Amino acid sequence: MKRPLRLRLVLRDLAAGSAFGAMAVSGQLPLWALGIFLGALVLALCDVRLVARHARLSALGLMVAAVLLGLQLTSGAMNAVVAACSFAGLIAAQRMLSTPDAAAEGQTHLTGLLMVAGGAALSGDMTYALCLIAFGVLASLALALGVVEAAVPDGEPVPVRAVMRPLSSGLAFAVAGAVAFFVLFPRLNWAMVGPRSAPGLGAVSSAGYSNTVRLGGAGTIKGNPRVVLRATLTPDPERDALDAYWMGRTYDTFDGIEWTNVVGAKQTERQITLRPATDTLLHQRIELLPAYGARTLIALEMPSRLGNAIAHTPTGTRSTPVQLQGGGEVRFTVTAPSYTYEAYSLPPDAKTGMSAGLVQAERDQLLALPEHLDPRVGPLAARVLQGEKEPLAAARKLAAFLQKDYAYTLEQAGVPEDPLADFLFVRKAGHCEHFATALTLMLRTQGIGARLATGFYGGARVDGGYLVRAGDAHAWTHVLVPERGFVTVDATPPSNRTSQGSVLLEKLLAFYEAVEARWRNSVVDYSFRDQFELASSLVRPPRRPAGAPEKEAPSRLPPPRAWATAAIVAFVVWRAGRFISRWTGRAPALEATRFLDRVDALLQRAHVPRFEHETLEDLTTRLARDGHPLALALTPLTRRYLEARFGGQALREGEAEHLFATLRRALDAEAARRAVKPAGQAGPTARAS
Amino acid sequence: MTQPARVLGPVPSPASARAVMERLAAQLGRAVQGKPEEVRRVVTCVVAGGHLLLEDMPGVGKTTLAEALARACALSFSRIQFTADLLPADILGAQVFHAQTATFSFRPGPLFRQLVLADELNRAPPRTQSALLEGMAQGQVSLDGETHPLPSPFTVVATQNPVDFSGTYPLPDSQLDRFLVRLSLGHPAPDVEARLLTTRGAASPLPSVEAVTGPEELASLRAFAQDLKLDAAVAEYVVRLARATREHGDLERGASTRAVLALGAAARAQALWDGRDFVTPGDVRAMLVPCWAHRVLLRSAVQGVSARDEAAHLVEEIARKVAAPR
Repeated sequence: MKRPLRLRLVLRDLAAGSAFGAMAVSGQLPLWALGIFLGALVLALCDVRLVARHARLSALGLMVAAVLLGLQLTSGAMNAVVAACSFAGLIAAQRMLSTPDAAAEGQTHLTGLLMVAGGAALSGDMTYALCLIAFGVLASLALALGVVEAAVPDGEPVPVRAVMRPLSSGLAFAVAGAVAFFVLFPRLNWAMVGPRSAPGLGAVSSAGYSNTVRLGGAGTIKGNPRVVLRATLTPDPERDALDAYWMGRTYDTFDGIEWTNVVGAKQTERQITLRPATDTLLHQRIELLPAYGARTLIALEMPSRLGNAIAHTPTGTRSTPVQLQGGGEVRFTVTAPSYTYEAYSLPPDAKTGMSAGLVQAERDQLLALPEHLDPRVGPLAARVLQGEKEPLAAARKLAAFLQKDYAYTLEQAGVPEDPLADFLFVRKAGHCEHFATALTLMLRTQGIGARLATGFYGGARVDGGYLVRAGDAHAWTHVLVPERGFVTVDATPPSNRTSQGSVLLEKLLAFYEAVEARWRNSVVDYSFRDQFELASSLVRPPRRPAGAPEKEAPSRLPPPRAWATAAIVAFVVWRAGRFISRWTGRAPALEATRFLDRVDALLQRAHVPRFEHETLEDLTTRLARDGHPLALALTPLTRRYLEARFGGQALREGEAEHLFATLRRALDAEAARRAVKPAGQAGPTARAS
Repeated sequence: MTQPARVLGPVPSPASARAVMERLAAQLGRAVQGKPEEVRRVVTCVVAGGHLLLEDMPGVGKTTLAEALARACALSFSRIQFTADLLPADILGAQVFHAQTATFSFRPGPLFRQLVLADELNRAPPRTQSALLEGMAQGQVSLDGETHPLPSPFTVVATQNPVDFSGTYPLPDSQLDRFLVRLSLGHPAPDVEARLLTTRGAASPLPSVEAVTGPEELASLRAFAQDLKLDAAVAEYVVRLARATREHGDLERGASTRAVLALGAAARAQALWDGRDFVTPGDVRAMLVPCWAHRVLLRSAVQGVSARDEAAHLVEEIARKVAAPR
C-alpha cells in the first residue's frame, strides 16, 4: 500500500481535534473523555498508530465505554447529548489511532462532523464558531490532499504546494463569505449560532454574587475572573478603573450566621423606582452575562430607577418585568442565561433620603441584634469608639479599626458556631462579609442604624464600557445618617475589595473577553439597526465635535468616505461581474476540455511524443502527415473534440467513453508493436556478435 | 463560356462546399503544377472573398495562375499590365463624348470585370495604384462625381515583383492591408520543372483548365463560408494573436483590426477544406502567415525578400508563443 502523506494525516487529526474542541468548549463533556481524546490526538500527531495492531481490543474498549455511557444515561447521571458527544469523541480517537486507510479516513471525518453537530447542540458561542471554522478548513484541506494523493501514481511526489495554494485561497474566500453572510443577515445567525450561553469556557454556575449571605463555610472564594456584568455609563467617567459600588441588595436581619430580610416581595412593574430622582442621574446600560447566575438587578450605588429589561433566552429575546423584593432588591421575573436592562443611579454624594423606600418593619430592623450575640461585641465597639456618637464618624472609626487590626484572607474558616465571634476574637482574619457584618453589628450595639449591602466593587474599562468580574463580589455596610440617609462605609481593607484572581489569568481572560465582546457586538448581536447605522455613518457628513467653533456652512456633499465606499462597491461589483461573465462564458467548453485532459493523460502515459504548446489538432495533423499508426485512431477523436469545443456539438452520453476505449486499444496495439520491434532487431545483432 | 453544373445545392453543406473547392483546386493544379499547398491557399482566398497578392520572381506562373482561376470559375477576366506611365483612366474608364447626341457617356475601363489581374502592380505610380485599390475596397468606382458599381463577384489578383527590383513603386502599407492573402509561388521543384519540359514544352497549360464553377455558385459559396461558426474562444485567440503582434518588440506596427477580420474570414474558408462548419484554432494558424505577414511592419525597415521572410518568421514565432485555446 502507498504510504499516506504525513501532512494530510496531521491535517485530518487536527480537524478532528477542532471538531472535538467545538464540543469541549461547552464544558459539559466528562473529564475522562476529554483526557482520552487529547491523549489520542497527541499520539496521532506523533504518528503513533497505537490501535493499528489491536483493532479488536480497542473495539472492545469502545463497546465497554458505550455500555458505561448507557448506564450513566439510564441512571440520569448524564444527559443524552453529552453521552452521544463523548462517544463520538471516543470513536474519533480510536479511528485516529488506527491504520490510516480509506475507511479510517472517512470515519474520522464523519465523527468530526458528528462532533461539530454535537458542539452546536451543547453550546453556541465564539469558541464554538472558531472550532467549526477550523474543522471546516482543516478537513477540507485533508480531504483535498487525499483526492490528489489518490490521483498521483505510485512513487511520484504529491504536488502539495500546488494543491494547497489555490485551495487555501478558496477556503479563505469561503470563510470571508461566511463572515459576510453573518454581517449581511444578522437575524438569521441567531438560529445558526445557537442559543446564547456562557461566553467561552462553558456555562459555569455563579461563584460571585449569591442570594444569601451566610458566614462560615470552607474553601477559597473570590478567585473567579469570569465577567458577570458589562455596563456602559452615561455620562462616561472615562476612568480606567472604577472605584464604585455596584449594589444588588441590602440585608437588615442577622441571626448570628445568616443575613435575611424581614419584608418579601412588594410589586411587579416594567420599571421600579427606588428613590426620587435628582436632576443629575447616572444612566447605565447593563448586560448581565451567564456567569452571573442570579436574577438580581445590579446598579451603581444608590440606584434610583431600574427596569426596561430584556431577557436573552435560548429561544430568543423578550422583555421581562421586574419585581421589587425586600432589601431594595429588584429581580427579573423571567429566568434566562443573560439579561440587558437600564438603571439610573444617584450620584455618590447625593442625599438619599432617610425613609426612602423603607417600610416601618424594615426601619425597625436597622437596630436589631441577633439573639445570641457574643457579649464581647458591644464592649469592643464602645472601647474603639471612645464616646463618639456621630454615626458617620463612628462608622469610619470602627472601619479603620477593623482594617488595621484584622487580616484579610480568602481561606474559609470552616463552620464555627458563632462566625462573628470567631472572626472578631479568635481568627482575627476573614473576608468582606466578615468585615461588613462585624461593622454593621458593632454599630447597632452602639445604637447606630446600619445594614449590610452586597453587590460588586470596582469595574475595569474595556471598549468604552466597564466590566465587573465574579471575583469582584463584595459586601459592605450602609450607615444611617440623619438628614442624609444611608452612607456607604466599607470595613474591608481597600486593597482586598476587588477581584483576587491571578494576574496572568485575569490578563489572558481580559484579552479573550475583549475579542469575545467584539465578536458578540459585531457578529452575533449585529442587527439591521447596526447595518443601517454603518450605512448612514458612511454617507452622513461627520458630526461637528461638541464645542467646536461655528465655521462656515457645512458642505452638503457626502464625505470622502462615502465616495471611497461607493468606489469600492463599484469595483467589487465590476470584478464580480467580470468573474461571473468569464465563468459563464467558459462553462460550456468545460466538458470538451475535460475530455481533452483525459485524452492528454492517455497520450502522456503512452509516451506519444509531443511538442510544447502543440494542440491535439496539431498533433493529429502531424501524425497523419508522418503516416504514424496512431493517426488513424486519433483523427475521429480529434474531430469530435473540435466539434464539441468549437462547433457547439456537445459530446453525447457515453460517446467519450467509446472514443477513449478506441484510443486505448490503439495505444495498446502501438505499445505492443514497439515492444516486439526491438526484440526482433536484437535477435540478428546478437547472432552477428 | 458555358456555365458548369452547380455542385453547391440551394442549402450548401460543408461537404458540398469542400467538393467545389477541391474541384477548383484540381483545375488550378493543372495550370500550376507541383504547388498544391499554394493552389489551395489561392482557393481559400477566393472563397473567403478576398483579393490576392502574388509576390514573386518573374516567370514562375503568377499570371498563369490568375488566368486559370478566371477560367475555372467562369469569371469575366481582364488583365492590366501596370507600367510606369499607366494612368487611372486607363484602368477605370473615361467619359466619352458622342458627337451625334452631343452627350457624354461612360466607357468602363478594364477594371470592370469579375476577375482582374493587376500584373506587376508595383510598376505603376502610386496614383494609379490607389485608383485600383479604391475599387478593391469599395466594390465601386467614383468618376467625375458618379459612382459605378463593379461587377460581382469582384476579385483582384495582383502580382508584384520583389521590391528591390529597379523601377518599382513599393505599395504603401495601407494598400497592402487590402489584400487578404499574400503568396509567393517560388520555383517549382526540379522534377516538376523537368516534367514540364518533357510533356508540355512551351505550350500554355491554360486551355486544359475547365470551368468547374460559376459566379453565382462562387457568390453563394462565399456567403456560406462567411456564416461558419467562429467560437468565442477562437475569436479571443485571434485577438490575442493580434495583441501579441502589437506588443512584439521587433514589430513597428502589429496587425490592424482589418487584419483581425481578414484572418477570421480566411480561417472560415480554411475550415471548409476539412468539411467543417466551424473554425478551429488550427484553421487560424494555417492562415496566419499568408494573412498577416504582409500586414506587419518590421522595426528594422529593410525592404525586400529578407524582410518578407523575416516578417513571416516573426508571425510564426508569435503563433508558437500564443497558446491556442483548448
